[in-house]
Amino acid sequence: MPNQMGKRYTCAECEATVLVTKAGDGELSCHGVAMEIAQAKPLPSSD
Amino acid sequence: MNIAMILEMAADALGDRLAYGTRAEGLSYEDLRSAARGIADRVDGSGAQRLALLEANAPIVPATLFGAAWAGVSYAPLNYRLPEAQLEALLSRIEPAVVSAPHWLDNKGTGDRAFPDSPDAPAVLLFTSGTSAEPKAAILEHDQLLAYIFNTLEFGSAGEDEAAIVVVPPFHVAGVAAVLSNTYVGRRIVPVPGVRFSAEDWLVTARDEQITHAMLVPTMLGKIVEAMEADESLRVPTLRAMSYGGSRMPPPILERALHLFPEVDFVNAYGLTETSSTVAILGPDDHRLALYSDEPLFKARLSSVGQPVPGIEFRIVDESGASLGPDEPGEILIRGDQVSGKYVGTDSKVDAEGWLHTGDRGWLDVEGYVFCEGRADDTIIRGGENIGPAEVEDALLQHDAISVAAVVGLADEQYGEKIASMISLRAGVDDVDLDHVREWVRERIGSLKTPEIIVVVDEVPQTATGKILRREVKRLLEDG
Repeated sequence: MPNQMGKRYTCAECEATVLVTKAGDGELSCHGVAMEIAQAKPLPSSD
Repeated sequence: MNIAMILEMAADALGDRLAYGTRAEGLSYEDLRSAARGIADRVDGSGAQRLALLEANAPIVPATLFGAAWAGVSYAPLNYRLPEAQLEALLSRIEPAVVSAPHWLDNKGTGDRAFPDSPDAPAVLLFTSGTSAEPKAAILEHDQLLAYIFNTLEFGSAGEDEAAIVVVPPFHVAGVAAVLSNTYVGRRIVPVPGVRFSAEDWLVTARDEQITHAMLVPTMLGKIVEAMEADESLRVPTLRAMSYGGSRMPPPILERALHLFPEVDFVNAYGLTETSSTVAILGPDDHRLALYSDEPLFKARLSSVGQPVPGIEFRIVDESGASLGPDEPGEILIRGDQVSGKYVGTDSKVDAEGWLHTGDRGWLDVEGYVFCEGRADDTIIRGGENIGPAEVEDALLQHDAISVAAVVGLADEQYGEKIASMISLRAGVDDVDLDHVREWVRERIGSLKTPEIIVVVDEVPQTATGKILRREVKRLLEDG
């Protein structure tokens, strides 16, 4: 599955986090498994 | 990374969306990127290490901020209201520097000019307001500013109809954060025309531009509340979110604002120049709970600055540096990736373990909500009793004749210090009985904390962002 612009992907095994700054067709993987989109807890806008 | 990445992402993903300005004439993210690249081209040949800005909020502001990042030099927004001699002195401290000008926007950058990768280079230099000392130039690095953005926001999360009205000046950390965070989420920024803040201009611009998000400093919110109370036609029906910060919000003003904007989500943002803006947030639910609950723990939180944002830790210490428990006041220490604490030419305020010593006095409640009383140096010591000016100012502000109140300690032979106050009156109020004001304060907080001296002035000395200039207030009151 192509990666999504501006999303953060995390590894289930380690601390690695990737921010997609240019979307592409590749799949992000770490420790041999696909990285998953981090569900950010949205903070209320402060500025 | 480089903060230019924020605009690069917005221009790539949201290109035609309006980034900055009115619906009729605003710049898109693509326009802004071209302008930033054009500015970087100009800086290249100049030999400058810093790109200074001497403008009020206008399209040249975000273009200069991102242009500096594209060129790999530091962005240094200066207070355009300062007298020429002081500006010259500040510019000489950041040499070699060039100053941007509005006509630089005409020079569109060509091609896909890239920006340098410079994570620990100084991205922004901000002169602190110097309410208690000479201004220092705080250094914010690319990765510190980005830590704040990446830890607290989701890219492109704003709806296409969202617009934020920005009135904090560009040379304040909140002015820098407003550009970075609104660009990252994809929310249009609308500046308010004019150099001096006017509540009417703000309300009219907000209504005409269908503003959804606002950020204000407490004195500005106070003026807006007064204008709305005086004229029922001044309303902003599209407004959804209102954040405030920059100095302590007096609860009497906040309560009036909450009643005037019942549908709006209020957010208190606490941060320092040295922490790349916001480090703690009191959210909308906390505000509602505080307003409608009878539980003292929740009610008290209307004067709290909330809980740390992700990636930030708070600690309260006593004078020996030992950690204090819940509800025990001491100095506020802050640690996290967005914390700088470095200055041009002077020592860092961050200790070996990464804690920034803020000089602010406060405490944490049992659930870790942060309460900030103000600068530790401002505490008045009268007859051995510590008195925070904030408590006295709040009591004064509950009086319906008073608009702004500043409280300081003056030398007193008998008690060490005596309490003195400078106040300005609300619009439409010509005169006030000062004995009545003293009685009002005495009934609320007792005679020990009641100001001995009260002076009525047209305008209490403040910085451009509404922070009370205590040094100046004190000097004026001492001189009588």
